[in-house]
Order: sequence, then structure tokens, then C-alpha cells
Amino acid sequence: MTPATPVFNQATKDVVKRVTPEAVREEGYYGLPMLKRPLWGWEIALYFFSEGISSGAYILATMADLCGSGRYASLIRDARYISLAALLPCPPLLIADLGRPERFHHMLRIFKPHSPMNMGAWALMGLSAPVTLLALTEFASLRWFPRRVVGLAGMPFAFFMLAYPGVLLATTSIPVWARTRFLGTLLGTSSMATAAGALAIAAALDPKSDEETREVIHRIENITNIAEAAALSAYVYSAGPAARPLTKGRYATMFRLGALVVGIGLPALVTVTRRKPGRGATIASGLLSLAGALALKWSVVHAGHDSALDPEMNRYGARADSDNPGWRPGTSVRTGVMRARQLPG
Amino acid sequence: MSTDAFTMEMLDVWKRPEPPAQQVETGFFTDTTLCIGCKACEVACKQWNQLPGDGFHWTGNSYDNTVSLSATTWRHVAFVEQFPLDGGGNSHAPRWLMMSDVCKHCVQAPCQEACPTGSLIYNEFGNVYVQQDICNGCAYCVVACPFGVLDRNREDGKAHKCTLCYDRQKDGMTPACAKSCPTESIQFGPIEVLRERARKRVEELHGRGETDAYLYGAEASGEYSALNAFFLLKDRPDVYNLPEAPRRPVARMRSNYLSSFAAAVGLAVISAFCFAKGDK
Repeated sequence: MTPATPVFNQATKDVVKRVTPEAVREEGYYGLPMLKRPLWGWEIALYFFSEGISSGAYILATMADLCGSGRYASLIRDARYISLAALLPCPPLLIADLGRPERFHHMLRIFKPHSPMNMGAWALMGLSAPVTLLALTEFASLRWFPRRVVGLAGMPFAFFMLAYPGVLLATTSIPVWARTRFLGTLLGTSSMATAAGALAIAAALDPKSDEETREVIHRIENITNIAEAAALSAYVYSAGPAARPLTKGRYATMFRLGALVVGIGLPALVTVTRRKPGRGATIASGLLSLAGALALKWSVVHAGHDSALDPEMNRYGARADSDNPGWRPGTSVRTGVMRARQLPG
Repeated sequence: MSTDAFTMEMLDVWKRPEPPAQQVETGFFTDTTLCIGCKACEVACKQWNQLPGDGFHWTGNSYDNTVSLSATTWRHVAFVEQFPLDGGGNSHAPRWLMMSDVCKHCVQAPCQEACPTGSLIYNEFGNVYVQQDICNGCAYCVVACPFGVLDRNREDGKAHKCTLCYDRQKDGMTPACAKSCPTESIQFGPIEVLRERARKRVEELHGRGETDAYLYGAEASGEYSALNAFFLLKDRPDVYNLPEAPRRPVARMRSNYLSSFAAAVGLAVISAFCFAKGDK
């Protein structure tokens, strides 16, 4: 059916395909979804990928600077450049995603801890200053610049940028994102793994880096990969049936093959098979980590679309339990309470 | 213009005006047992709020050709026809259930909590309202709403939903849908009055043997607040395409942040150890 007049809504486009005479037999309300499809697509997937590399590289550089007793100068410099390069595409990607891009600065007209997106906008602002300063002073080789102090000052913002993407997605009503406590952990550890992978590639290519640097960053890459694998298991286990759009849906191949095999399995294989991988193997495993993380973030963002448009998943996400009895026939409680229970913690 | 006057004008931009004085909280009570499915509310809403059509199409499975709420449809009448398709199944007599769906105007609204620009507010009547001059179309409210009410208009790029006829209320008028409803299925008024009236109505229906009547959203349930636009229903919520027990997204935000931060800080500390130890 092609509507004769212009269609103003994604919602109308989404449901028009589903309304058929046969739908009369479907469960629920003619097989129609309760929720609206997320309007976030490739811009947000790429943003999560890019800001993860940036904030992860920032944290690793600062840690190497503070704890390395001056041993990792080339790695720190590479990490500062990578952090800036990965941060540059972030604002344009976020602005392009808006319905009204020219109003992007409205994000900063208030400070709102309830809204992870608002806090993320502030953290992006907060991180951009130290990232830019550190990369530029590194480029200009300004010896007097207090790198450690500035690096440490930006750490809260870097941690927030690393930790918040999954929390932003989880603070919604989309079952595949919201019915788990580990989406923030999954995307955060994945971001750290991409940063370590990017640094390992840089260390392998940088003629000034030494054997010790390569060995240490390779070790960190392995540890972050293990953490990502653990977070991935925790996510899939805790989400249960809500993870179906990722494990069985359209994005199952990308999620399984990309995030699991390419991002975690193959880099681990490279490590296991060779005790000290050469330059080529390091670069290959780093690139695999990056590709895997991109597949993970792409499939997680897009699985939200399928989750929202699946009426069975909608019902599962809003099913009643002892904590949330909901409103059903015969559940008239008459408490007279209008506001919700206090937030935990 | 003198320099002083110019400076004052520039400073004015940053001053927040006094919000309007708080009024009695208002809302809708939609009694679905009185709905006859005439769709006058849909038409009145479109007319008053000057909303465009959505591109007409026959669904072919019911009288519901509107299908869902959207950025340009703020009232939607659901038609549930409970007639056994193959001669059995239902425990009750064959019946029609009709419900005029609308934004629920939650007492604690997930869309308001999500909105990063402060565009979504509770206005002086306690209604959830999208300030169109602030919204930048980030679409966070679209995924925050557990009822799938909010949507972004592709033409103007902003989120839209029922305003509970804020403009009419400012002039002391009844919202267009309630005004046009011929059976008083949609009732508008002070929320406390509506809740009391709804309770009496349920008792009256129970007294008549209609024991399946109940109120959807008249009171808080678990982590979810009461709704200022609540309903009297006759069957399970999902029959009307409503969530049985909606969740408040912010309820788990703190623990999500905690585990996420723990992982980030943990990995940073481990990497610090690795850097300190070197390749020994």
C-alpha cells in the first residue's frame, strides 16, 4: 500500500507494512508493536565506536604517563594523537543525527543528571579540551606543559565517555537494551579493547617504539579482550530472551561472527598460538579487534529497531512481576499512591 | 541604542522568566465502556491542533485505519473485536472493545526524564509538554516512552505528542477531544476529581456484574508512577496494545552506571599495573 499523501512519521511507515487482513489472527493488537522504532542509525553506531577509541586511548595514555616512569614516550604520543583523531568525527556525527541539527547547542542549556544523553554532551565538551591540548603540546614538543596534571584532570570525563554509551541505551524502554544490567559494561570494555588494539597497531608501526612497549600494550590488549568476552557473556545471560534480536534476528550474523569471532576469538587465537607475535600478527589482531567492536556496536544499536518493532518482545519487556504488578483485571490496589516507589540506592 | 541598553538586552537573553503559577492538576479519564468508536476525538484533535493527515490506507482487519499514535496523530481509537474466529476460545460473550488512546501524561514521565535539552516539561497543569522552540529532535524521548507515544515528525524534525490542549486550557477551555466526545467516554477535569469519579464508576460496573472492569494507571504500580491520562479497561492491557507493567527506565540507571564505571576503572587500574611492571 502506498499512501497517497506524504507520510510525516517513521511510525506510520513502520506499521503500514504490517497492517494486513491476515493480521486479524495475530496475538495482541493485530500484531502491531507497542513501541516506536529508535531513530538512531549508523551515525550513533559510528559515534560509539569513535568516542570509545578516543576515551580509551586517553585513559591508557594517562596511565602510561603516570605509572610508566617515562618509559613509554612514543606510545603516549601516539595515544594522544589517536585520541584527538578519534574525537574529531564525534560532534559532526552527533549533530547529523539530530532532527534539528542547528539546535545542537540546546543539549548544553541545562545540566540534567537524570538524562545520560545530557551528561554525555557535557562529558564530550569536558574531554575535548584536554584531548586537544595534550595532542597539540605533544606535537609542538612543549616540555614545560603540565601533561600529567592536565591528563589527570580529564580522566573523569574520559571515564564517563567510556562508561555511558551502554547506560544511555539501557535507560530506555527498548527490551534488548533495557532488560539487562550489563550493556554499559559491554560497550565500555569493548571501547577499551578497541583503544588497546589501536595503540598496539600504532606501537607496531611507530619506529620509535621499543620491544617493551609492544609487549606491554599487547598484554593490555589481551586483558581487555578477556574483559569484553566476560561482559558479553554477562550481557547475553542477563538479557535472556530480550537478547533475541541479537542472537537470532537480522543482526545475529554480525553479532556472532563480528563481535564474537572476529573481535574476540581470532585476536585471542593470535595470542595463544604465538607467545610473542611479530609486527604483522600484532597489526592483524588489532585490526580484528577494531572490526569486531564496530560490528558489536553496529549490531547493538540496530537490534534496538527490531526489538521495538517485535510485539512479542514488547510484551516480554513490560510483563508483570512481584515488584511491578502493573495494571490488570483484578489488580485494583487502591493505594492512592500517585508517585512511583523511591529509586533504589 | 546606547551601549548600556544593548548590554542589558544581551543579558536579558540569559535570564530565565518566572514560570507560570501552578494550577490545579488536570488530566483525562477515558472510560472505554462508553466509547462507541466514532473517532470524533481523532478528528477534533487533528482540526484544533492543525495536524496533517498520515496518508490514508485501509488496514483490512478492523475499523481501525489510524493504527497507532504518531507525531501527527495524538488520539487513536483502538477497535478490538472479540468474536471467536473458529467457533470457540473466549470465555465471555462476543463483544466489541473500543478505546481512545492518547499520551498518558505520566506523573513521573520517562520522556521528561530522558530529554537532554529540557524541552519536555511538566507545565502548570501537571501535563507533560514538548516545548517546540527547544526540541532539537534527538529522539531520546521516542525510545524512553514505554507506551510508544512520542515520535519525530520527518518534516520539521521535532518530537510531537498530545499537549493536552495546553493552549485551550490556558483560556479555561476543555481539550478538543473531550469536548467533542458525544458519550463522555473522554472526560477532562482536575485529576483528583477524575480519579474519584473513576473509582465510583468501577464500583458501579462491578455491582452490575461487569467484574472485569478495572482502572489502568489511576495509581502508581511498583516503580511506575500513576498516569494523569488513565483508562477504564475491560480486558488485559495488551489486548489494547498497552504494556501490562511499564518500567521506569531511570530506575536502573544508577546500578547500570555503577557496573559500567567499575569495569572502566578496573581496566584502567590493571593497565596501570601493566605499565608500571613493564615486560618483566
